[in-house]
Amino acid sequence: MPLVQIRNLTVALPPGADRALAVEDVNLEICRNQIVCIVGESGSGKSLTGHAVMGLLPRGVSASGGSILFDGVDLLKEPPEAMRKRRGRDIAMIFQDPMAALNPVVAIGHQVTEQIRAHRAISETQALKQAADMLGQMGLKDVAQLLKAYPHQLSGGQRQRVMIAMALSLSPKLLIADEPTTALDVTTQAQILGLIKHMQAERDMSVLLITHDFGVVADMADAVAVMRHGRVVESGDTKTLLGRPAHVYTSDLIAAVPKGESRLVPLPAAEPVVKVEGLTKRFRRGGLFFRAPAITALDDVALTLCRGETLGIVGESGSGKSTLARCVIRLLDPDAGQVWLNGADIAHAKERELRPLRRRIQMVFQDPFSSLNPRQTVGDIITAGPRAHGEDAAEARARAADMLGLVGLLPECINRYPHEFSGGQRQRIGLARALMLKPDLLIADEPVSALDVTVQAQVLKLLDDVRRQMNLAMLFITHDMRVAAEICHRVMVMRHGRVVECGPTAEIFASPASDYTKALLAAIPGRRAL
Amino acid sequence: MMRFARDFFARPTAAFGFAVFILILVIALAAPLIFARGPFTIVGMPLLAPGSPGLPAGSDVLGRDMAVGLAYGARISLLVGITSTLGALGIGVLLGAVAGYYGGVVDDLLMRITEFFQIIPTFVLLMVLVAFMQPSLASAVIGIALISWPQVARVVRGEFLSLREREFVQAARVLGLSDASIIFSQILPNAMSPIVVISSMMVGNAILTESALSFLGLGDPNLLSWGSMIGGSRSAMWVAWWTTVLPGLCIMVTVLSLNFIGDGLNDALNPRRRR
Repeated sequence: MPLVQIRNLTVALPPGADRALAVEDVNLEICRNQIVCIVGESGSGKSLTGHAVMGLLPRGVSASGGSILFDGVDLLKEPPEAMRKRRGRDIAMIFQDPMAALNPVVAIGHQVTEQIRAHRAISETQALKQAADMLGQMGLKDVAQLLKAYPHQLSGGQRQRVMIAMALSLSPKLLIADEPTTALDVTTQAQILGLIKHMQAERDMSVLLITHDFGVVADMADAVAVMRHGRVVESGDTKTLLGRPAHVYTSDLIAAVPKGESRLVPLPAAEPVVKVEGLTKRFRRGGLFFRAPAITALDDVALTLCRGETLGIVGESGSGKSTLARCVIRLLDPDAGQVWLNGADIAHAKERELRPLRRRIQMVFQDPFSSLNPRQTVGDIITAGPRAHGEDAAEARARAADMLGLVGLLPECINRYPHEFSGGQRQRIGLARALMLKPDLLIADEPVSALDVTVQAQVLKLLDDVRRQMNLAMLFITHDMRVAAEICHRVMVMRHGRVVECGPTAEIFASPASDYTKALLAAIPGRRAL
Repeated sequence: MMRFARDFFARPTAAFGFAVFILILVIALAAPLIFARGPFTIVGMPLLAPGSPGLPAGSDVLGRDMAVGLAYGARISLLVGITSTLGALGIGVLLGAVAGYYGGVVDDLLMRITEFFQIIPTFVLLMVLVAFMQPSLASAVIGIALISWPQVARVVRGEFLSLREREFVQAARVLGLSDASIIFSQILPNAMSPIVVISSMMVGNAILTESALSFLGLGDPNLLSWGSMIGGSRSAMWVAWWTTVLPGLCIMVTVLSLNFIGDGLNDALNPRRRR
């Protein structure tokens, strides 16, 4: 008998939500000793399904039908107190953001022992010993120090390891992992996924892994369920489903995953439109009375970029890639080095000289929800630039309608407000805003990292089309090697503020020169299977 | 504009608050037309209960008509409340916005000035200011504005500090917008909610502060306000409740209507909350 049998599970949303049922008639089995993935885009109901098993649905949301049999017991009929005892002991959960899941003012050791002692009558010393043992098993070093540390002193990967240690400390039969690696760097992600897989095999437990990434599915899952709009579209064992998807939606999702294969050939050598030399940026910390040592975020970075060319800047968090973008566009003032754009030095221009130059470099931002002013209409947002540079308002508005068409939105959108649009549409609006000034250089700072995979593919295609049509030079910042491969002619790998290597995309992927790049490429989830 | 009005009046509380406030305003403006003889005229025996012949709101300790006093008092109380709040908003929003947007040394400097005003007991400062300028309506307004801007500056600075990090503000800089237009057309509209909320409370506070000033004899002796009515009647509080309760009720209803208006404005200005 499977460990978990979800039968016709239906979860109702409170009245007034955008649909009546978050989860509709879902059937799913998790066998013992198996990793089952639920994969889907945002709003598919995958997280709520996981939370329903845990008995932790948000306020106002409740399971209105079906059953969740766990070892033959229907969890939906369990009284709250019995369910509380099960959580942690029988079923444990880890979350996307380990920083938010850990209590910031309690030492790690106490958080782990508290969890153990809530379920077992043992002394604090025994619990501490157990906690240290668990943390050690998670591959964490200096456990004694770690027990006394607070969450903010740990890296994201360490925090997620602590979360897993806590989740596994009572040897649950089922671990629910809700996007456990989405907030982590790709190399850390690979390590954490490896750890989960190792622990699952060693402890004979089952894992329900919730993810949006088919790469993760390919590497991890024994069985998969694809969800969309609250329903299971297709389910089955991983090999069959990935190899021969029966449903169109599944094959669309798989097709939308960037494959990490370079598609663009490098452009013939030409006079560069952008030239960056010796760019260095240090961040000073501390205030009036206290000075901490400065952090070097950019160290002697150089690059060139031609018209019509896309250069990908790839690196993990803290590599300085965003700082580079912000120095080039002068949202930050570099400490040393030059940024030449058509012969003008952007890096040292005074604010007054800079303003007319601003229109030559434009940017598309990462977060579709904070990059548009919520109090302005789309028309006002995308004509603000031209108006600031002295263009007639009516003329700018007429161009704005055309521009909306170019980025694939209806001209009627011009009078609507940002909150009326989806993430992907907002990124299109952000792109339209940037293009209205007819820039020479477009900087895209992680423009698709907040988007679902199918939307991501559309936005990437749009960026590439626009680059071609307007003969733009594009600086594409990303943490995702797969995305970089999709859109970049050349790739520059950064680490700790320095350039590790730079070259044509195909070359970097085929024969990376540095160990770091090799590690990044090896960490791409599902690279072999998809 | 029509859309804004429709959004605003779609909220029952906002429409109610607006109606009440307009009513008070009309009474205040029309007071000299309705009661030509002025609020200081003695019309009968002192401390007559409301409902006595010709005295719907009774008479006060000196035998003056309470209804006339309330109508005239509205003029002064509203004038002080609204103008001093506008003054405080002007100073506070400007300093808070500049401090929050530019940060660094500018912020340090402006915040030290703000703190200078905050660490002095405000009412003592107000009394000194008013006494220094000679007690009059204008000195009360200026004094109240000068003691109440720091809290506006604090709130606005806080909003600006967080909003300036948002990507749409960075986008505006990248587009080449000037600092003034980023501050006033990009960030300020997004900081309106707390500003509207504190300003509706500030009007109430200013009315009460003016009452306290009048109570201490630092109000304009030639003008009657709700506050000076309460102050003047405190000796009769236990024998003639209406002498203090009625002006108090007027203050309360005015502040309440302003709060409703503030909430309504806040919602109507926010595209997300529009219906």
